Amino acid sequence: MGRYQKDFKVVGHGLHVKDAVEKVTGTIRYGVDYEVQNMLHGKIVRCPHPHARITRIDTGKAEEVPGYIGILTHEDVPQNDWEAAWFNYRGKVLDGVGRFVGDDMAAVAATSPEAAERAAELVEIEYELLPAVFDMEEARKPDAPQIRVEGNERPYYGVSWGDVSAGRAQADHAVECDIFYESQQYAPLGRNACIAEWMGDKVNVITSSQTPSELRDGVHEALGIPLSNIRVQALPSGSSFGQWWSNNFMIITVLLARKMHRPVKIELDNEECMVTVKRRHQERTRGAMGCNADGTLTFFDFDHLIDNGGYGFKDDVGFFCVDMWGKNGHGDYKIHGINTNMLTAGCMRGVGDCTLGASVERCADQLAEKVDIDPVDFRIKNQIVAGDELRMQHSRDNLKGGVDDYIKSVPEHLRKDWPELFKLSSGGTRALLELGSKKFGWKGRWQGWATPTHSDGPIRRGIGVGTGAHVCGVEFEGASNSMVRMNPDGSVKVHCAVGRQGAGAETTQAMVVAEELGLTLDRVAIETGDTDSCPWNHGSLASSTMYRTGWASREAGRDVKNQLLAIAAREFFDDADPSELDVDNGEVVHSDPTKHNQRIPFSDILHELRSETLGQTSSITGSPRVPMPPSTTFARQFGAQFCEVEVDIETGQIKLLDFVCVQDSGTVVNPQVLKNQVIGAATCGAGFAIYEHLVFDEENGAVKNGNLLDYKLLRCADFPHKAEVYFVEDPDPVGPFGARGAGESPIAAGISAVAQAVHNATGVWIDMPMTPERVVAALNAAGKR
Amino acid sequence: MTVLRVNGRNMEISDRGDRTLADALRIDLGLIGTRVSCAEGECGSCTVLMDGEPVTACLMLAPQAEGHEITTIEGLADGDELDPVQQAFIEEQGFQCGFCTPGLILSAKAFLKENPNPTANEVAVGMSGNICRCGAYPYIVKAVLRAADAPRAKQPA
Repeated sequence: MGRYQKDFKVVGHGLHVKDAVEKVTGTIRYGVDYEVQNMLHGKIVRCPHPHARITRIDTGKAEEVPGYIGILTHEDVPQNDWEAAWFNYRGKVLDGVGRFVGDDMAAVAATSPEAAERAAELVEIEYELLPAVFDMEEARKPDAPQIRVEGNERPYYGVSWGDVSAGRAQADHAVECDIFYESQQYAPLGRNACIAEWMGDKVNVITSSQTPSELRDGVHEALGIPLSNIRVQALPSGSSFGQWWSNNFMIITVLLARKMHRPVKIELDNEECMVTVKRRHQERTRGAMGCNADGTLTFFDFDHLIDNGGYGFKDDVGFFCVDMWGKNGHGDYKIHGINTNMLTAGCMRGVGDCTLGASVERCADQLAEKVDIDPVDFRIKNQIVAGDELRMQHSRDNLKGGVDDYIKSVPEHLRKDWPELFKLSSGGTRALLELGSKKFGWKGRWQGWATPTHSDGPIRRGIGVGTGAHVCGVEFEGASNSMVRMNPDGSVKVHCAVGRQGAGAETTQAMVVAEELGLTLDRVAIETGDTDSCPWNHGSLASSTMYRTGWASREAGRDVKNQLLAIAAREFFDDADPSELDVDNGEVVHSDPTKHNQRIPFSDILHELRSETLGQTSSITGSPRVPMPPSTTFARQFGAQFCEVEVDIETGQIKLLDFVCVQDSGTVVNPQVLKNQVIGAATCGAGFAIYEHLVFDEENGAVKNGNLLDYKLLRCADFPHKAEVYFVEDPDPVGPFGARGAGESPIAAGISAVAQAVHNATGVWIDMPMTPERVVAALNAAGKR
Repeated sequence: MTVLRVNGRNMEISDRGDRTLADALRIDLGLIGTRVSCAEGECGSCTVLMDGEPVTACLMLAPQAEGHEITTIEGLADGDELDPVQQAFIEEQGFQCGFCTPGLILSAKAFLKENPNPTANEVAVGMSGNICRCGAYPYIVKAVLRAADAPRAKQPA
């Protein structure tokens, strides 16, 4: 591979995003902004109990509401399981059992949203109450109420290497931890809506989604109709972070519209978005780490629990910290996914990294404190760099098996350019920590562990550093394809189903193709949501968009270029070898201008193609022609963040004073977009560290603060506006022009940095979120107040 | 008949007693740039200007706006020429998903009218009535500062 070149014309430039004008003029249309002629409005009837089976449904009162049209219940629904991307939902659309307070039980259709809401309130459902369980530990017990047919807990997922007991014996120092993380809410700004419109036996689904292809698969699985009969038109969403992929309410909309023989729109209000869709997992980490006298890690031993709520089915998260801290010779890492009668949990940005990964960071910090080593130095000493082995390859039935199958399926001659598998191909935290230390002035500011940088009355300031790592997408859920079409005028359209959630994919994918085809960005348009024109794509998730879809978009662009150059060589360059030609600013040129100084516009070449085939072909379509190397086995992204906080030990309030973010995502395709994404992640991580958490009712597990009034988010003045982002660009051997993934490592780094800074300010490790109440309680308990 | 003055024109809206200003703008007038998220006055997405002052349209009943000049995001640009605040948000990319952006831009308009030469800290506090879940805050501050500079940059030396 190694196709990295420095002199890019489009890549690396901070171009304005393609939808910038739409966004500042308010003309961009999200799912809630669409309507279809003669559509009905749907409203979901929700379960008031944590675990209950429907025994009777009475629609008598609902039918009297003017405008009421009908109801969809579990008796109308095919009893097929469907599965959302990354096991974020697994189950039936409706099956007559409610598994958490707020679960979908039925849906009514009416002629107006108000009538639908009123009718939904008047649907009378009688339930047989079932025993419920909310605590992960309780749910694991053999006599616990069972929530799923698969059981509340499935076989654990693990990574192990070396011999942990030998590693323990080698350790001069060790620390143990038991850390619980509350659940963060996506807290979407912007709601979502879905419109389903049947035309004969085909259905058109219009909604905000980052995984259009997965949503089409979900409709296919749930209804049992051919994929070809399903068209998803995914619209931009408000902030998503993994929330708007393929959600059960979308499939309810499809089924309600089919039964009503009318288009139906279901719009979720803000509370429904926060208490009925999904949330970040609650997670608990118990473990230990040890090192020798000079701070070199000798073992790593962790056992994690993640609660999936009612319908989540995940157990394979957070293993990227294993790779990052995996230099030591002996490790064991287990994750147990558990179901409870609580709101479904799913992948929220930095899934696992922000909790399990951050727990490992804290454990590492406690160890560094014990041997009194600077946390920057401790990380440099113990975290991996390019060339080091990736530990996730060990003992992984579901991942290693999947990757092995993928590798075996690729003919050997197509594997010859692959980087070495199961070793980190590029990047690492070392360069980030070195650059970040310099920019932050770490060495001058560091006063030692648990030592404030400034103390004045009740005010204590402290600094902290954190690191995060994540994959750049994975292969075992399917390929992420892209298609590029050059039109008769030489303009290009990219078709890749990654949605638009604000992370700029509609711009950066087009930039990759523009660079490959020698076009300016305004000549490259993009479709990111229509499954009728886009090939299957995993979607915007797992930090895969730039890496895996970007690779596919570049390869598709390369395929177009090869076809274009072959025609140009034959028709305009005297049968030159196409490899002697190149593209430049919308024209085909000879690579050596002294040989042939013609410049042939793409449109002339397309025109030649059209006349040759009597009008039957007027465009060139390109797709990747080789399989992508399995990126999970060599590509990672890294973030390191440095911050200073101020803690008022009287009130417990924490202020963020300073933030420096350093990111290694390989080549930066659009620095303006990536800086914004990194700062956004740091803000979301810092908010999780000091404010954000869902509060659940102890009696019935219901979310008690499911609105933006009671669920606190950081605001503009809460995050330091001087925060800066710096890049280390270690080019990837496979990613487009050397780019890697970006979205998830920076959120994990921020959480750990804030946690450590608060410890250094106060001398106490405080469980997150570090709300004023918890800070005061922790300081009191430690006698530090 | 209820008539509102919106973006310099008279507009007839539904007479429903429960019509909020946000619904009147979005549903009756198709001005979808007024975004509704929390619907309880907390997030600021639905901010519009009433006689130049920012109000949360989700909390007002539409008839309360009768006799006032309402400005929505659709009323800022002059044809294809964007308002300097809109242009500054593009230059600094003071957004990601864009859902909060119209409300923020209108809040910034009102803020800059009160404080045409703000410090960065003043901007950060001034923009704190609007939640940006994507966390573009530092770039929002830069955008508002840039917009504050824009009129001066245009003046002859």
